[in-house]
Amino acid sequence: MARMKFLCDSERCVECNACVTACKNEHEVPWGINRRRVVTLNDGQKGERSISMACMHCEDAPCMAVCPVDCFYKTDDGVVLHSKDLCIGCGYCFYACPFGAPQYPQVGNFGSRGKMDKCTFCAGGPEADNTKEEYAKYGSNRLAEGKLPLCAEMCSTKALLAGDGDVIADIYKERVARRGYGSGAWGWATAYKTGSSA
Amino acid sequence: MTRRTEDKGLARRDFLKAAGIGVAAAAAAGAAAVGPAAASENRDQRKRARYRETDHVKKFYASNRL
Repeated sequence: MARMKFLCDSERCVECNACVTACKNEHEVPWGINRRRVVTLNDGQKGERSISMACMHCEDAPCMAVCPVDCFYKTDDGVVLHSKDLCIGCGYCFYACPFGAPQYPQVGNFGSRGKMDKCTFCAGGPEADNTKEEYAKYGSNRLAEGKLPLCAEMCSTKALLAGDGDVIADIYKERVARRGYGSGAWGWATAYKTGSSA
Repeated sequence: MTRRTEDKGLARRDFLKAAGIGVAAAAAAGAAAVGPAAASENRDQRKRARYRETDHVKKFYASNRL
């Protein structure tokens, strides 16, 4: 079965932030929350690299391991989702996540942050697919519509890849072979401990 | 010390009782108007794979091989 993964080809990312904007617009993400961010390393120096980051939907997700109310679940295609009805806003998942993916709508202490929000791989949540209720809590469910995450689909330089992990790893390998160099699939060794051959 | 022998209008406790019944009735009417909450998926349904390799997805993969 296909396993969903994200891969950012940092040789191609030009830090345009279109993925961030598209995500916010597609899901009507609340103020103060960015499900996706572009991180630039060595900004302005030789070897500068930009990486588009969001929830990587880890194989052995630390957020799932630490959640005290067990609000996370993983789909058969490897997408890590959560129930906002169960979330108590404790913030444990934020501290556990190696990518800083979980976000909260309010600034506050335990329980006053509001319900956690994160990238859903455009796969909605526990409500019935493509309903108003699902959209209000989690945003659109493009996977159920036979599409892929919008951030990757609209990337103009084709830096951000999303979809079947084997296919996108193959695409990335082809690029590296053609170019003769590559920075590696950033985050894959952390997120996908097995099968992170790209 | 005088004893209160007659109350005019609703007594305080009667008022609170009447207000409580009114609020409950309004809430019930509101719930009936909204209808049942959107069906949540059961455990198996929510874990079901959504990904399908549609023509749309194949086009995306093809465009990334350029």
